[in-house]
Amino acid sequence: MADNLYDAIVIGSGISGGWAAKELTEKGLKVIMLERGRNIEHIKDYVSATKESWEFPHRGGRTQQMIKDYPVLKRDYPLNETVLDLWCKDSEHPYTEVKRFDWYRGYHVGGRSLTWGRQSYRFNKWDFEANAKEGIAVDWPIRYDDLAPWYSYAEKFAGIQGNKDGLEVLPDGDFMPAMELNCVEKDIKKRLETYYKNTRHLIIGRSANITQPHHDRTNCQYRNRCWRGCPFGGYFSTQSATLPAAMKTGNLTLRPFSIVTKILYDKDKKKATGVEILDAETNMTYEYKAKIVFVCASALNSTWVLMNSATNIWPDGLGSSSGELGHNVMDHHFRCGASGTVEGFSDQYVYGRRPTGIYIPRFRNIYTDKRDYIRGFGYQGGAGRGRGVEVAEFTIGADLKDALSIPGDNWGMGITAFGEMLPYHENKIALDKEKKDKWGLPVLAFDVEIKENEKKMRIDMMNDAKEMLEAAGVKKVESYDHGYAVGMGIHEMGTARMGRDPKSSVLNGNNQVWDAPNVFVTDGACMTSASCVNPSLTYMAMTARAANFAVSELKKGNI
Amino acid sequence: MERRELLKLIALLTGGAVVGGEVFLAGCKTAGKADTGFTTSTIALLDEIGETIIPATVTPGAKAAKVGEFMKVMVTDCYTEKQQAAFTNGIAQLEEACKKATGKSFMECMPEQRHDFLVSLEKEAKEFNNKRNEEDKPKREAHKAENEKLAFKDQKEFEGTPSHYYTMMKQLTLLGFFSSRTGMTETLRHLPVPGKYDGAYPYTKGDKAWAE
Repeated sequence: MADNLYDAIVIGSGISGGWAAKELTEKGLKVIMLERGRNIEHIKDYVSATKESWEFPHRGGRTQQMIKDYPVLKRDYPLNETVLDLWCKDSEHPYTEVKRFDWYRGYHVGGRSLTWGRQSYRFNKWDFEANAKEGIAVDWPIRYDDLAPWYSYAEKFAGIQGNKDGLEVLPDGDFMPAMELNCVEKDIKKRLETYYKNTRHLIIGRSANITQPHHDRTNCQYRNRCWRGCPFGGYFSTQSATLPAAMKTGNLTLRPFSIVTKILYDKDKKKATGVEILDAETNMTYEYKAKIVFVCASALNSTWVLMNSATNIWPDGLGSSSGELGHNVMDHHFRCGASGTVEGFSDQYVYGRRPTGIYIPRFRNIYTDKRDYIRGFGYQGGAGRGRGVEVAEFTIGADLKDALSIPGDNWGMGITAFGEMLPYHENKIALDKEKKDKWGLPVLAFDVEIKENEKKMRIDMMNDAKEMLEAAGVKKVESYDHGYAVGMGIHEMGTARMGRDPKSSVLNGNNQVWDAPNVFVTDGACMTSASCVNPSLTYMAMTARAANFAVSELKKGNI
Repeated sequence: MERRELLKLIALLTGGAVVGGEVFLAGCKTAGKADTGFTTSTIALLDEIGETIIPATVTPGAKAAKVGEFMKVMVTDCYTEKQQAAFTNGIAQLEEACKKATGKSFMECMPEQRHDFLVSLEKEAKEFNNKRNEEDKPKREAHKAENEKLAFKDQKEFEGTPSHYYTMMKQLTLLGFFSSRTGMTETLRHLPVPGKYDGAYPYTKGDKAWAE
């Protein structure tokens, strides 16, 4: 377009950015989507998607070189040979850890929509009310009913398989036919719900895997190789869903290798006029102008962009007038749970690899339950029949080979809790002006930790898991807490929260930056509290809602 | 996830975390040299060690899965210097122990002798690893206590004493075999594109397991 002029700029191409691009282009806007990393084309660029174990030289493991290049990613399972190209190289993208913070990033078109866990749940009405009721942080400026139609809208397009379970704690949505619980999970569900008199529930994990053909996508083939990119388009990603929809309008320009360094701000009009980018390959600087800007760069990078913008007016950046920009970092804390053995199903097995597990919705601190901490947690897990029967000690040879070639006599069942982390003002990110990346840009410094409320909750997260599995007849149950560092949940939230008052929040109830109403932040950065459910579906709904609002305001001439 | 199951299974069988697996504690010193001294005859020896652990039966064994070559790649790329040294020294130690026990080199032994000898190494490895675990425990705890006094950026990761060399060889045999084409498609049942899910699929005793 002439003079790099567009109707709208979308920063980032992950789950939120993809939705923003789709919604804005479908409403007729000319949009440029800026992505800091390389392009990844649907199917063609999923280099590992159909590879078998033996085609990886280290059979999917990690080499010492990988450990050296990925000093953050190595801290947990994401560092492995099968999806190495879908994570950014930590050594090229440093940051500062005042306290440990595990930041696992995907810098490429599609972002982490390619590697996400796909668990898709609605927040419930209590999630939006809890801050106000308990006097925590600030009140959400919206309620469940504001978002409910947008959840439906997002679910219908993304394709979420799930069951209508009729639970107030986990609102039903517009689902595709659910995947099935296996025979052991069905049995445990029955026992659990009987034992707890229907106050605790075990359901199929709702996920963004399609169980019927949808648009141009083929339904899930039960390979469970989702995070390598799916050649069938079986799960929701930018590439499989929102990007083709946006491209179909003819209104989208996608520009990879575009690091947005700042939002350009006109202090007289009190509005953004566009963005400045650094071409990651050529180091050239360009400006793009537009009427509206959607910031969807992933929670902490969205805030990084704001922090670097309009610093001539606000030294700490656009949106910092509240004193809350960069504060209230949240994640979901997890890695506590229990697992054990299930006897008596040796005549049954599974066929196919289901890309979701079971879910046990929150039961703590709801209705009459009251604990010595606030909020709660849900469990993800599943039952499976592992491989290998027991052999006598020191057995090798044909007997060992045979024993390892058949399924075990028993099944295993495990559950892991995901808990809500409160928004604490002291948990913050800030620009580290001393340290620069290879483009000379300041990096983020992290000062984030979990506190008493989370620590108390973790005790229940572990003990409740054991109690429930035992109540459901699982044998040899062992509970665990593997320890948690903030960020490991890969659910970064907060730092540019929504609120009702510009003095204590960065965004209003329509995701507009109070100080620049034509700038919208709709990814994890906008979250006022975290709930305990996986957040991506909420970003989809929030982005679609904000895009709808933005276009109607634009038409009215309000922004 | 399934890969993790395989690693868990091997760890359980061999009493130690699998090097190069996701559970491997990162941050150890990186390997300095690519040449870990694997010659054609070393690879042939490792193939035979592997074959003794997982032999050809009605289906091909570890040798057909080229576990010797696999061990070379893994030890060279995935092991720390300490672990590499333990493994390569282990090859000589194994030969020496074999001579002592049988009067012959491993390659000269008959399959039955090889089997019995490796069983005796299994026992030795178990004792070695148990003792190592005990000795490393206080060192690990002291290291942790030391780390807690430091700022996060100054903390170092603990590298314990490597497992017995035989444990490494057995782990790599199991990992290499069960993730190989022959292991996954002939010894196990392989389903690249299942197309459907059945959570109550009939099972008759003796039916093979699915490849992960």
